[in-house]
Amino acid sequence: MRTDDLIATLSAELAPTPPGVFWRRVAIGTAGGTLAAALLWLGSMGPRADLAEAVVAWPFWMKFFYTLTIAVTGLWLLSRAGRPGATLMPPVLTLLVPIAAMIALAGLALMEPDADTHRLLMGHTGLWCPFAIALVSLPILAGSFWSLKKLAPTRLTLAGGAAGLFAGSSGAFVYAFYCTESAAPFVAIWYSLGTGLSSIVGALLGKTALRW
Amino acid sequence: MVAALAGDGASYRMLLTALTRHLRGYFSRRLDPAAAEDAVQECLIAIHTHRATYDSAMPFTAWMYGIARYKLLDEFRRVKRRAQVPLDEAPDLFAQDESEAATARRDVNLLLARLPEAKRNLVRQMKLDGDSIAEVAARSGMSETAVKVSVHRAIKSLGDDVRDSNENR
Repeated sequence: MRTDDLIATLSAELAPTPPGVFWRRVAIGTAGGTLAAALLWLGSMGPRADLAEAVVAWPFWMKFFYTLTIAVTGLWLLSRAGRPGATLMPPVLTLLVPIAAMIALAGLALMEPDADTHRLLMGHTGLWCPFAIALVSLPILAGSFWSLKKLAPTRLTLAGGAAGLFAGSSGAFVYAFYCTESAAPFVAIWYSLGTGLSSIVGALLGKTALRW
Repeated sequence: MVAALAGDGASYRMLLTALTRHLRGYFSRRLDPAAAEDAVQECLIAIHTHRATYDSAMPFTAWMYGIARYKLLDEFRRVKRRAQVPLDEAPDLFAQDESEAATARRDVNLLLARLPEAKRNLVRQMKLDGDSIAEVAARSGMSETAVKVSVHRAIKSLGDDVRDSNENR
């Protein structure tokens, strides 16, 4: 086919593109995935039994905001990764804020004079927690990949990593309704590792799975 | 592009036509001619089907070249799977940059312009077109020896010129 004919065909079949299409595609995949993860995990394992008491204590909100801020930044990163030519630096730099805040909280807890370091770091479910978070985040990762494939990611490993970051942090957000750990150092290490694990999985899969 | 997103086919057509020129330049510098034209078309289709990912607050060229770059890597990936070139043809792969030759041609023309016309023609015929001394002599009505001497002097004086201007720099 000659290029001029192609141009004629393309411009003849041009339909108006409503301005919300981009974000609708982002929203369907990511929200759908998160909803599926929440239903699957909390439906099978149930929220923690003392949820009503926990929501009035600050450790619950610490986990809530730590995972939420990273998830929102991850979503921002993901949407940028789906736009050709967009710079990824602003979301990446924003990511440092919650991470730095969490490390500071963890440091404060560890520096208290009568701190039980081992309990603060390992809790009751350390080691297992990152894998649980990565597991919870799998449906979210699938949904995020669906969204990205509808967009136009041009750097596939980075885009996959962004999807993994969003999936991991939203997975951790869902997981926080189940998890009874309350120490800041625990969250700083194991929640972050869970999110990181999911990001690595996303980056590895993205290289091939996100081709369009 | 903003008009195109609103559904204006005529401006869209103008945009794609203008883009084709840019894309042709972009791909023909990096691929062989047939593959380049295919890549241009692929890229136009990609721009068309993914036009919703363009954000009007962003620079359009960054968006467009983002897609072009992706399509280029796509093409490289495809080529890599069957990238076995016989050694005899290998020089073709490397001899693609013609800008140096173009610069040299320009320099030579500038230098030749310094010579008187009769001498310039002799040098051009012998050294650039590759004619033999006998041919040149017959055409110009000079003896072979006179042609040889004249060309030799012309080249020498040009050489001196170049050396001088290099030393003065």
